Amino acid sequence: MHEAQAIIERVRRVSPTLQRLDVAVDRRQAEIAPGQLLLARTTDSYDPYLRIPWVPVAREQGTVVIERPAYQSYTPGQIVSLLGPVGKAIPLPETIRALLLIAYQAAPTALLMLANAALARGGGVALALIGSAAYYPVETLPTEIEVIRAHDDLEWAERDRMLGWAEQVVAVAPAGFDLPAYTRLMDHIQRLRVEPADGYAYGLFHPPMPCGVGACQACLIHLRGGHEAAACTDGPAFDLKGVRLDGA
Amino acid sequence: MEPNKRPSIHISGGKQTLTLHNPVMGASGAFGFGGEYAKLVELDLLGAWVTNPISLNPRRPASGTRIIPLDSGVLVHTGLPNPGLYKAFRQYGTRWKNSPVPVIVHLIGTSPEEISECAIILEGHEEIAAIEIGLNDSAAYREVRAIVGAARSKTQLPILVQLPLASAPLVALPAFEAGADALVIAAPPRGTARDPLTGRLIGGRLYGPPVKAQALRATGLIASQVKAPIIGCGGIHSPDDARDYLEAGAAAVQIDSVMWVRPALVSLIARDLGGLEMTRPAGSLPDEWSHNTTLPNASTRASIFPSVMPLPPFTPPDDLP
Repeated sequence: MHEAQAIIERVRRVSPTLQRLDVAVDRRQAEIAPGQLLLARTTDSYDPYLRIPWVPVAREQGTVVIERPAYQSYTPGQIVSLLGPVGKAIPLPETIRALLLIAYQAAPTALLMLANAALARGGGVALALIGSAAYYPVETLPTEIEVIRAHDDLEWAERDRMLGWAEQVVAVAPAGFDLPAYTRLMDHIQRLRVEPADGYAYGLFHPPMPCGVGACQACLIHLRGGHEAAACTDGPAFDLKGVRLDGA
Repeated sequence: MEPNKRPSIHISGGKQTLTLHNPVMGASGAFGFGGEYAKLVELDLLGAWVTNPISLNPRRPASGTRIIPLDSGVLVHTGLPNPGLYKAFRQYGTRWKNSPVPVIVHLIGTSPEEISECAIILEGHEEIAAIEIGLNDSAAYREVRAIVGAARSKTQLPILVQLPLASAPLVALPAFEAGADALVIAAPPRGTARDPLTGRLIGGRLYGPPVKAQALRATGLIASQVKAPIIGCGGIHSPDDARDYLEAGAAAVQIDSVMWVRPALVSLIARDLGGLEMTRPAGSLPDEWSHNTTLPNASTRASIFPSVMPLPPFTPPDDLP
């Protein structure tokens, strides 16, 4: 974790709604792992005040690829300040061969690096795009990923079969919608598996992270046993078995 | 060689003295409990750092939305979560002991009884350099005297009292009279903003550059009327911001949310104010960078902060002991 300058080397429009930035980064930040993020400051002004979370979708030698909405303006050569890598990598044991990714009302951006890592190992990856996530431009995804679109919350035709097939499930939902979504997901999983194994289902938590180092206490997640953990230092991926999904 | 290094600042209280080798400190609420910023900020450049607020018993974080972005700032509502003083000692005591600069423990000033107990616990721990008491926004004269007095009677550590911005000019004097060795002006002001997620109004603390103007005003007013060392805090986002506080009468400054958004600036500000710059900036005048910088005296400050708002004459309530 450190603060460094980075340069946007290339800006590509990959769909009508998305662009991808090739960003040349510091050596340590280039080693960012799936699930970790960077906190970016793109302007000298204080508007916006807090840093913006950038979750890479890929990394190459000395470069990370960042996906941003197409309406935002970035230019090649632009210098940005990056803080990170923030958080821990999403655990992906070597034995996992079937990975189910679920994007609920959120772009699957935060899951794509993990998908690529699983594919590189020869595993199978399925991606369920739920709710507004169904509008994500799938032409940007690797063709090996099986894409499932569902417009009705967590209901889709092959859901139970997919949950049975998957050796690990990783879900992402936007802040504020995450706990209800993960609660329903765990209900479905527990109905099928009675008691899922540790590390079977992870949820990504992306609340605002003002500091990124666990100092400001703004991104604490309630865990079972009366503990809290900071999404920026202990997350953003948490084993859903250990999370207080009622938020209390 | 440090030709322009500022002289150290000494804040004496009880039988112990807090020595700041640099007038720049990390503020409570922004800096964490145990040196979370050690990898991002050159801690040894700072004069000291203040822990996040700690209460006698553990406090859980607020539920729901805790952050609301604002224009040029942010509203923060964390609920002041902390593990409680005993567990904080177990978790962070070693890090406090190994800190390269003094560690000041910020205590949540809820009641005289709780503050007394906390002060007793902290007494005799050499890893603690001082106590900072954060007062409740609604604390009035009698409560301020009781809380600060309770701490003073139980500890020989220097006591800093962080005043609420809204009432700082009113409670500065009672805090000082009750035994505060320095006054921190001020705690982040409270605000209310609409949560874009739920549509509800949320109350919390305001951080960002706009806070500085208010806190600077309060600093100037209090510095000219209370004979206590003043530590300015609020909205500092550049060396010039920090210098403004010194010009207004502060002996030192605390830095808060700039740590979140531009941590590298913290070292820059500390170097600048500590006179640790080895190279004079091109085009600068001597008094802009040297430790001999002429700060305005009391009469000059009076012209900057004219007494259009003098502290109201205080009449203690009749039922005071």
